[in-house]
Amino acid sequence: MESWRLHRIKRKIMKKLIIITLLLFSQLVVAQKYFTRTGTTHFKASVEAFEPVEAINNSSTSILNVASGDIAVQLFISAFQFKVALMQEHFNENYMDSDTYPKTTFRGKLSNFSLENLQNQKEFPLQGTLTIRGIKKEISTIAKVSFKKNIIKLSSNFSVEPQDFGIEIPSIVRKKIAEKINIKINYELAEKK
Amino acid sequence: MNWLKKNKLLVGIGLFTLIIFLGYKYTYKPHKTIENLAPVYTGNSIEFLQKSSLDFKQWNTKIIEITGQVTGIDTKGITLDNQIFCQFKHVEKLSILSQNQKITIKGRVVGYDDLLEELKLNQCILK
Repeated sequence: MESWRLHRIKRKIMKKLIIITLLLFSQLVVAQKYFTRTGTTHFKASVEAFEPVEAINNSSTSILNVASGDIAVQLFISAFQFKVALMQEHFNENYMDSDTYPKTTFRGKLSNFSLENLQNQKEFPLQGTLTIRGIKKEISTIAKVSFKKNIIKLSSNFSVEPQDFGIEIPSIVRKKIAEKINIKINYELAEKK
Repeated sequence: MNWLKKNKLLVGIGLFTLIIFLGYKYTYKPHKTIENLAPVYTGNSIEFLQKSSLDFKQWNTKIIEITGQVTGIDTKGITLDNQIFCQFKHVEKLSILSQNQKITIKGRVVGYDDLLEELKLNQCILK
């Protein structure tokens, strides 16, 4: 009888311990991530003297693992907003095929990343794979990061070429679209709870 | 006929102006705004999720009007029923909303976000 009771108490304690460990562990894991759903991604392919070819995407999702520096970005091509509606239409239908390839993703890593001493902006090398229209390309750039009021501000820029992703530009507009497309990112990441 | 022959130049200029005008109107047509577009789906947010989860891609860029419960409010938008993030067109409207409130929102489906495992809407307006 006595040993049976002891066994029950033991089991209860074990259960509680497991729950507590799980809780602690899950918090540890969750606290390491910062994210945004409304990051700004901007691209510019303008040629001087012609109409500006640029657009902004204010719905970019990004998750940063602050322990490892791993970063993931995902955005939808159709959420790029152009000043000229017709240009937006052509961008989606003729150049990016956003029906077939709705997403663009980036998976990379901030080298030697640490949240310490980030009150002032610091630069970290950023390397990763950009996937546009299902075609992968390695990107290597520098990211500027600061950490204030529990918000991580991350900005960076790099350039790509349309042919890297199999995007054909008809010769009639070739002169109006830059050879290199500049991409700028600006994300404000908050702690993921 | 006689009149046309006499005023060839005038007719020419008129036609030319018309073509330029139509061309300009076509090239610089305004963006379609969320207020003026008709929703292709109207109903409950949970039911929409069930329906759209069969093929999320098909719903990209579609306008929908859904009713659900507010489960999260942040600086740019709200979360409906823990699974739909609605980015607002006018962020000042966010201040009148409160947690657990039942609301109807009209917005454009951006797509299914695999990183956060939620559906994303933008340009949302309150109904």
